[in-house]
Amino acid sequence: MIDFPLSNMVNCGIRTVGLVMPYNYRSLIDHVGSGKDWMLDRKNGGLFVLPGSAFGTSRSGARFLIRDILHNKSFLTRSDAKYVICSASNYVYNIDYSELVAAHEQSGADVTMLTRLCTEDDADTVGVMFDGERVRATKHGVTYGDTAFLDCFIADRELLLRLLDWYEAVDYMDLFEAMEGDFGRVDVRSHIYEGYAAPVFTTEAYFAHNMELLDPKISDQLFDPARSIKTKAHDTPPTKYERGCYVRNSLISAGTRVYGSVADSILGRSIVIESGATVRNSIIMQGCVIESGARVENAIIDRHNVIPAGTEFRGTPEDILIKEKGHA
Amino acid sequence: MSKKECVAMLLAGGQGSRLGALTSSIAKPAVSFGGKFRIIDFALSNCANSGINTVGVLTQYRPYLLHSYIGTGEAWNLDSRDGGVSILPPYATQTGGAWYAGTADAVTQNIGFLEQNDAEYVLILSGDQLYRMDYHKMLENHIRHNADLTIAVMPVPWEEASRFGIITQDEDEKILKFTEKPNKPDSNLASMGIYIFNAKLLIDTLKEDAVDQQSEHDFGNDIIPKLLADQKRLYTFRFEGFWRDVGTISSYHETSMDLLGDKPEFDISSTDFPIMSNPSIRPPHYVGPDGSISDSLVGNGCKVFGTVRHSILSTDAYVGDRAIVEDSVLLPGAVVKEGAHIVRAILGENSIVEEDVVLGSVDMTKDTAVIGNDVVVGKGEE
Repeated sequence: MIDFPLSNMVNCGIRTVGLVMPYNYRSLIDHVGSGKDWMLDRKNGGLFVLPGSAFGTSRSGARFLIRDILHNKSFLTRSDAKYVICSASNYVYNIDYSELVAAHEQSGADVTMLTRLCTEDDADTVGVMFDGERVRATKHGVTYGDTAFLDCFIADRELLLRLLDWYEAVDYMDLFEAMEGDFGRVDVRSHIYEGYAAPVFTTEAYFAHNMELLDPKISDQLFDPARSIKTKAHDTPPTKYERGCYVRNSLISAGTRVYGSVADSILGRSIVIESGATVRNSIIMQGCVIESGARVENAIIDRHNVIPAGTEFRGTPEDILIKEKGHA
Repeated sequence: MSKKECVAMLLAGGQGSRLGALTSSIAKPAVSFGGKFRIIDFALSNCANSGINTVGVLTQYRPYLLHSYIGTGEAWNLDSRDGGVSILPPYATQTGGAWYAGTADAVTQNIGFLEQNDAEYVLILSGDQLYRMDYHKMLENHIRHNADLTIAVMPVPWEEASRFGIITQDEDEKILKFTEKPNKPDSNLASMGIYIFNAKLLIDTLKEDAVDQQSEHDFGNDIIPKLLADQKRLYTFRFEGFWRDVGTISSYHETSMDLLGDKPEFDISSTDFPIMSNPSIRPPHYVGPDGSISDSLVGNGCKVFGTVRHSILSTDAYVGDRAIVEDSVLLPGAVVKEGAHIVRAILGENSIVEEDVVLGSVDMTKDTAVIGNDVVVGKGEE
């Protein structure tokens, strides 16, 4: 998930990124490292690992917990940049942030929220309400046709620092919740992003939006080579298909070996689908082995799991079955 | 390792003219291989896996892609402060400059690099071979024999022996006779073109060779016979395993096909001596609703809507609806459009085979079809 906002930032020329760490940061640090794969191993600027306030970032409700930013105020005071773009990593989309910067400059707003017009009901997304051009209020949960917050905004750096001073006493709040009473004196507007954007707050959404990638029209937009989504480089060889395997309508990553049958699925790196195994309408993450004759359907198999020979792991399209991370 | 126990010199400047269209715009070591690799990955990975962290890469012919691909060497863990990869193209001095005029001449012109690194031993490699070798074992062998020069060798089929430098040795691996490409070979023990020299002897010999008007400045033709005639201690290091020179279209195609199958002789996926590369970061490949793949290698970013059998699809290759690809190698970004049918063909990087074109032949007596990089093959042009 982090690859998307990080790549978006880098692709529009940003080379100084502070990454506020979640409570359990081991796998995130392992993934981003020095930021090299995002060209963020710079002599000046580059990737800054910023301590989160631990409880804040693990709470899914708050996007921009004031405390998380306040704790890292010096990162902002030491900078001489005019603008700051803040993003959570709840959404999958590929945007050229220049359009957000341009909209922000053109309107002269203090803060510009990146939004989209909602096409589906979503209880986890923040909705935005307007008074003319200006944001009047935010609310939890959106329905069709609402303007939905993409959990990303741009602000003048000086102004953001001023806001942090204002709200220091309520640092347990989300920045936009805290601003609720101040929309009169802070000019907050929105810029509507018209491309593909997928909210990923729940496993159902995770599954559904992954499956959308099987539509080349969507994956081409998301993985546009002109603004490529960067990720940690691995030395995995190409995918190896053996004689007699079957594969249809699937996305398959490098290092995987397919002897069996795969349809309507997404396979991560270095997976083995043994002969006679079948995988249907599922997401299999890296390092799993689906042994001979096993059947996986309507399921998410997290990393490093083995589905033993001859067994079944099947959900239904309405009720996706999930197997938690294995220990191999 | 001592201060600089062993420095590798990787000869990557040759044109590779026998690879035809594949090397018209890029150097042979930069040619894509095995779906995501480039040929030079094998030698660089061997260096990294053998603990050799100082590598000079001698380049000359069409070097841009090769240079940018190697970069700082970080993809092979070779970006270290006390060594790393140095790209060594021909250069000028106060008295002028010259192109590399032979394998030995290329190293001669970079004696300064060897002196700068104060190396005790020098490993000479070519950038166009596929194998996994622990050079450190070869170095141990060299030191054990107290040798002046050690040549890696392997037995080859007798009928092919005349293509190689052929060696006769005694029971202690000491070289008695060396003949470059003999008409009537009296041994089938072939030099793999991988040498370890004592640095001082190498430098002295190269300096002498440089002023020898008769010399072609080639390791096989000149340097090795000279050392043998001078009664130096030449030993072999016997290599067991998969080794291929991918210098011709047919060997390139055949070696590519050797990577396929359930238990290939050369497993590029093996992780205990990993082949590293500097890949483009691309999303997983997509197989469409009517796509079909069997017995093949497929790289990231590919899209397969047609049928692929016993083939290699490199990064970002595209196989359109109703298209068929068999016994072929698609290099990065190659496109086989809707309804086209290619058999026993190699498609260069970003080449395009247009709709309904039929290319190549199952007839093994015919040559493998080769389309150069960026070439478009339209209907009627095949």
